[in-house]
Amino acid sequence: MKPRQRPDMNTHPFVQAWSRRWPERRLLWLSVLGIGIGFGMMLGSGYAEGRAFALTDPLPWTLYAGTLVVLHLTLVSVRFQGDQILIGALAFLAGFGLLAQVRLGTFDVANPLDPGLYLVPAGIVLMLLVAIGLSHGRYARLTEGHWLWVWAAGSLVLVAVVLLFGQRYRGAVYGVGLVTPTELLKVTVVVFLAGFIDRHAKRLANWGKGFPLPPMRHLWPLLLFCMGLSALLLTQRDLGMVVILSVALLVMLFFGTGRTAYLVLGGVLAALAGALLLTVFSHGQRRLAAWLDPFQDPTGNSWQILQGLSGMYSGGLWGEGFGAGNPEYTPIAQSDFIYAVIGEELGFVGAVLLVLVFLVLFGRGLTIADQTRQGFGRLLCLGLTTELATQTLLNLGGVTKSIPLTGVTLPFVSHGGSSLMTSFVMLGLILAVSDGMPTRRRTPKPPRPPSD
Amino acid sequence: MNVSLDIDPWSATRLALQATFFLTLSLLVKQLFDLRNAARLKHLGRPKGAFRTPMTGLMALFGAVLLYQATWQLTGLYRPQFVAFMQSHDRREFNPAHWIQRGRLLDRRGEVLAESLEREGRVQRHYPDGPVFAPVVGYTHPRFGASGMEAVVSRQLDGGDPNSLKDLGELGRRILGGDKRPRGRDVVLTIDAELQRLAVERLGARRGAVVMLDPRDGAVRVLASVPAHDPNRIDAELFSGSDPATPLLNRATQGLYPPGSTFKIAVAALALERGFNGTLACPGDGFTTASHYRKIRDHEYYSARRTGHVWEGYGRLGLERALAVSSNVFFAQLGVLQGRDAFQELTERLGFNGQILLHQSTYGRFAMRTGHWPALAANDQYGLAQAAIGQGRLLVSPAYMALLTGALANQGVAVRPRLIATARPEVLARFMHPDVANRLAAMLRRVVTEGTARAIDIPELAIAGKTGTAENPQGDAHSWFVGFAPAERPALAVAVLVEHGGYGSATAAPIARDLLQRAHALGLMPSASKP
Repeated sequence: MKPRQRPDMNTHPFVQAWSRRWPERRLLWLSVLGIGIGFGMMLGSGYAEGRAFALTDPLPWTLYAGTLVVLHLTLVSVRFQGDQILIGALAFLAGFGLLAQVRLGTFDVANPLDPGLYLVPAGIVLMLLVAIGLSHGRYARLTEGHWLWVWAAGSLVLVAVVLLFGQRYRGAVYGVGLVTPTELLKVTVVVFLAGFIDRHAKRLANWGKGFPLPPMRHLWPLLLFCMGLSALLLTQRDLGMVVILSVALLVMLFFGTGRTAYLVLGGVLAALAGALLLTVFSHGQRRLAAWLDPFQDPTGNSWQILQGLSGMYSGGLWGEGFGAGNPEYTPIAQSDFIYAVIGEELGFVGAVLLVLVFLVLFGRGLTIADQTRQGFGRLLCLGLTTELATQTLLNLGGVTKSIPLTGVTLPFVSHGGSSLMTSFVMLGLILAVSDGMPTRRRTPKPPRPPSD
Repeated sequence: MNVSLDIDPWSATRLALQATFFLTLSLLVKQLFDLRNAARLKHLGRPKGAFRTPMTGLMALFGAVLLYQATWQLTGLYRPQFVAFMQSHDRREFNPAHWIQRGRLLDRRGEVLAESLEREGRVQRHYPDGPVFAPVVGYTHPRFGASGMEAVVSRQLDGGDPNSLKDLGELGRRILGGDKRPRGRDVVLTIDAELQRLAVERLGARRGAVVMLDPRDGAVRVLASVPAHDPNRIDAELFSGSDPATPLLNRATQGLYPPGSTFKIAVAALALERGFNGTLACPGDGFTTASHYRKIRDHEYYSARRTGHVWEGYGRLGLERALAVSSNVFFAQLGVLQGRDAFQELTERLGFNGQILLHQSTYGRFAMRTGHWPALAANDQYGLAQAAIGQGRLLVSPAYMALLTGALANQGVAVRPRLIATARPEVLARFMHPDVANRLAAMLRRVVTEGTARAIDIPELAIAGKTGTAENPQGDAHSWFVGFAPAERPALAVAVLVEHGGYGSATAAPIARDLLQRAHALGLMPSASKP
């Protein structure tokens, strides 16, 4: 595992790749170790309360560790050049999510056939497939020619279909079996936006001389798409998704064209839309009231957030210890309120450490965007990172009462198959971009040994 | 009961595991940061730093969320509503909110008025004197919230508002150590426990209120209201309003009563300020503004009639003598003489139809009502005559009468009443001119030496005051006494109200005398200088 300064030209390419990816290896080891300790704490608490040891107890952790081994070996063997820090951060977050879900009893650990058990491993594999499949600059083909419009149309059709055939549950619309296919929008919409803005970057940057008017002639397809999508999403009361996509749109427009005016315009539109939504949706007003004065209706609207905060207060700085808290008192803790459980059991310290890992993930995403010269890849990477960061901020802010609740999940940590899988796909895309374009490769191909 | 001492092997292991977990996690974060150079993306373009600003912004946003989270997670104790929510709705046994040792409320000499005791594995609020101090301290209850000073200084009692380096150090130690038994801070009140107990005892089974304060700095020594609720026993029935004795009503600060003759001091002040210096004829038959209104007569008229005699009246009276004998006929005329506008201006200057705030915080306010006076129709002379003798539609609270009397004793300056010992004295308003106040003070001394209150005169105390017997539609007259002592250099002002207590001189005045006597014994007021 020792780093080698200069890989020998004559060694086997696998060995070269192996030695190049030593930072990733170290990070994965640390993740496996940390998550292992977490499992130890949690299982120990269970035994201390009188639960009997079962052979299947270490199964989730073993699966997790195994998946990471497969991940690493695959990346090495295909000589993947993508980012290693990102993989390290993601490995920890995914493991942490798995740990939290096992802790909350989201799925049956004793039953090796429970699909919930394989959600995280499957997500990592999916991410791996996306990353490798679109590496070597293949991601650029996603929006070639008319494919760009396929993403746009696909997004709209997806929401429309869910709206038509979905079922209502807790005020929102879901697909069959409470799957939320709209999560996929985070990928499809950003792919479309990145392609569109990249294709028309010059024209979109061309604001009116003198009086600053946006270039409507080129902007209208974008506006039409966004308005249609927002309308459909708001009918489903998916405000969180609208916010996430809007922020990504604005950030991509700004960095794609270099025009500050887009941020100003976006801010004005957001304020108008916010005011309009508040007058139209009673649901939004209730959440706003619960946010402004939670003690107005502590046993009704604000029950969940106050229970979450009580748990965090109970945890204090160091936490009750993993497995020793009472997260069952916080309603639906496993999805939107998982952060409150982390605060309760691991304390403020645990929460800060988790936020730091998230920040590394976002920082790395932005670094990749910064170093990517291919316009579409740069915007794609930027858009996906923005989405992940916005979603995390909305979730954390909502749970801690910093902002009104929007009901979005915490990426990689919250329960929710669709959201989890989408997050993995998003990360796969960022990884694919970080692999770079084939023409830009500087490492010469090593000569094949004659015996082979 | 001590939970932290019985460490079983698993607890120790768990602590070790948790420490290792945090260490590993910290190491991971450090490595994620340190390895960024080793894992440089050399095959991509050179870094341009285009996203440095957004990344800084992102870090600031998450930092802000974490900081705000800390105000709940680490210092949630300073949010009394949050603490109350947790105490009633949080079932986590180890939530520190269930174990808060709230600070004590103390009287001016350190006697305990409210404290937190641990009983049966729960921390409970205990009020040693039950209902006696309820009008001041109020109550605190996880389900029904808090009232009185318990609400106003809730933050300090819970240990909040650190205002010194020592407090901050304590706070830091508590957070770091994961303290499960937080301790609050004590708050000292201006109340004198012994005097308040005496006031409640002397009111006995009757309903009424006593307010005693230092007119010079507003420190309230007695704020009694009887009957009061027992803050040790707060339940839903108390709030149902079914008890006819209205134990939740703070009679001292919120009760409104006709002031009767005690209000004559305000009318006298008005007349003096407007230069009244003469005498008025006071016929025995009484005075009225129009023939179809019942005549306003003096008390002596009725006593004479009961024995079959006819009272001749006082003849011509000056202000001093009229106050001493409390002549209704005189003051009714005096009121009408001043006119509606001057009277209206007086009630406005004296702060009628309002509330006076004693203390306020985010979590509660302690306020007293002043009085109630509906604007009079311009031609309602009879209404004016009635108001001038403290009857009709004029109403006041007992605390307000103490404030008014105190202002008179303090050269006409009203000081905002206060209950927290460390609160700064603050001038509320000037109620009357200093000369007027001094002349009136001398006249009120005469009331006690030779007038209606002569039964309570103790030369050593030099009490000055005014009795009142307020007729009301509910039954027997309310008994009032307002006064201050010593007359020369007043140190205490007092207002006593006994609902349906009869003559002021018979019921309320002796209570005031007993309180002043005890206050004198306690050193709260000096002896009068020998004449």
